[in-house]
Amino acid sequence: MFTPTYVVQQIINGVNLGSMYALIAIGLTIVYGLLRLINFAHGDLMMLGAYLGLLLLSATFTPLLLTLLIPMLVIGFVGVLVERVAYRPLRGAPEVTMLITSLAVSSIIENTMVMSVTAQPRAFTLPPGVNQLHTVAGVSFSTLDMLTVGLSVTLMIALTLYIRTSRTGIAMRAAAENLRAARLMGIDINHVVMVAFFLGSALAAVAGWLWAAKYSTVEPFMGFLPGLKAFVAAVIGGIGVIPGAMLGGYLLGFAEIFFVGFLPPAFSGYRDAFVFALLLIILLIRPNGILGVSTDERA
Amino acid sequence: MLQIEGLTVAYGGIEAVRGVSLDVAEGELVTIVGNNGAGKTTTLMAISGVAPIRSGRIVIDGAETTRLAPHAIVARGVAHCPEGRLVFGRLTVHENLRLGAYQRRDGAGVRQDIDRIYALFPRLLERRTQLAGTLSGGEQQMLAIGRALMSRPRLLMLDEPSLGLAPLIVQRIFSVIRQLHAEGVTILLVEQNAHLALTVADRAYVLETGEVRLAGRAKELIDNPEVRKAYLSQ
Ligand SMILES: Nc1ncnc2c1ncn2[C@@H]1O[C@H](COP(=O)(O)OP(=O)(O)O)[C@@H](O)[C@H]1O
Ligand SMILES: [Mg+2]
Repeated sequence: MFTPTYVVQQIINGVNLGSMYALIAIGLTIVYGLLRLINFAHGDLMMLGAYLGLLLLSATFTPLLLTLLIPMLVIGFVGVLVERVAYRPLRGAPEVTMLITSLAVSSIIENTMVMSVTAQPRAFTLPPGVNQLHTVAGVSFSTLDMLTVGLSVTLMIALTLYIRTSRTGIAMRAAAENLRAARLMGIDINHVVMVAFFLGSALAAVAGWLWAAKYSTVEPFMGFLPGLKAFVAAVIGGIGVIPGAMLGGYLLGFAEIFFVGFLPPAFSGYRDAFVFALLLIILLIRPNGILGVSTDERA
Repeated sequence: MLQIEGLTVAYGGIEAVRGVSLDVAEGELVTIVGNNGAGKTTTLMAISGVAPIRSGRIVIDGAETTRLAPHAIVARGVAHCPEGRLVFGRLTVHENLRLGAYQRRDGAGVRQDIDRIYALFPRLLERRTQLAGTLSGGEQQMLAIGRALMSRPRLLMLDEPSLGLAPLIVQRIFSVIRQLHAEGVTILLVEQNAHLALTVADRAYVLETGEVRLAGRAKELIDNPEVRKAYLSQ
């Protein structure tokens, strides 16, 4: 009933969607690992990245790669700014306080966008050729799909190398494990948190661009659902653990695509319900997520 | 090297350390002994800038550090090997050592010092790529001491390095402490095992419910009847 080509096609779609979830989930998980902050504004930075990308794309002569790179940098700094202004004053506050604050930040960003560019969705138009379809042995994918997967994987490899080997990367992992011990080592936590927000927000901006390109549209609330699902992905993989966020992102991407692709069409509408059911099941089996470690061994 | 005047630290309403004054001279090995809950750990945490100081002054090398951020205190040459070791279990032995040198920018010197630590504790060399969480308690303590040494501290603070370890390992660790002291490292040692601490230290402070109860030369305190009764009884 399902031909091998069909299966391969679904796998490609799964990798595609999973790459984007993974990119978003990374930022959520790094920040949570360091500050125990569930950053609801993360999806909104993704949205801002998409808008900025659109702006640059409409300024005709910007090379495609720059329309990605500039939002990465700019949104990275926006993330740093948000941390400075909204989250740093709350350092050490209860988790609920930080959570509510991030909801407020999210709402401020969304409403500012509604006021300045209206809630009207806009077409996210790519230069000719990017949407071109290629068909290999009956399986079809676009240049955009290749860009999505290629760029996401490249960025994740780069990030992994950075986290594994650089001085700041090691400090970041140490701080996520035990904040107080990390401070005793002479690590300036503010610096580590700043780098974390920069990296996470930059990756969210890329994801926003790719997301908008895939669905050919941007609107101020576009970050909400992907942000929420990426959070699910981070929790599934083990929140606070970066490889967990990547794994969770791909698992979720595959699960969603397969759910829609291999079950009767009548089920398609329950796709999001299925995602959350999957979360519950995985957490029942592994309460700390797949790669997660038991919480609060930290001092 | 280190002077503390009238230090009071309070967690919420509870004063864990009350008006403690103490000092450590360059090259000295000073110990703080006292029962569980006396405020020893809190005193060290205050020196490191991670405890809520209510009043008092901490001076390191003539400059006040009382309200400095922990990383600024590390920059003044203080290394803290905390109670319970607090090695980073999800980092390798090698990464833990690298972190000890977090503020140092001399890559070659850092690599040299890592080799020195491995020479000091050959067990760590065997386990260099292992996650620190998989080490035994004694190995973790060696790692914690090695990690603290990686900053090339001017003042090394050790909090209960013998806690929960087998006698043979305690001996090994204390012989390293002696060796470091002989090399001229200034050490502030916190111990519940008062006998052991008083044998290696030059001077000692006895802390009781947050206050300095006694102070003096370690050799004299060992023979002090009050100390013998309260801390050296067995
Ligand atoms: N983080 C903390 N919050 C509240 N009380 C604390 C904290 N740390 C220590 N205390 C209290 O402060 C007192 C001194 O503790 P501590 O400095 O750990 O003593 P010691 O190291 O001598 O055993 C104890 O009564 C302890 O319960
Ligand atoms: Mg203690």
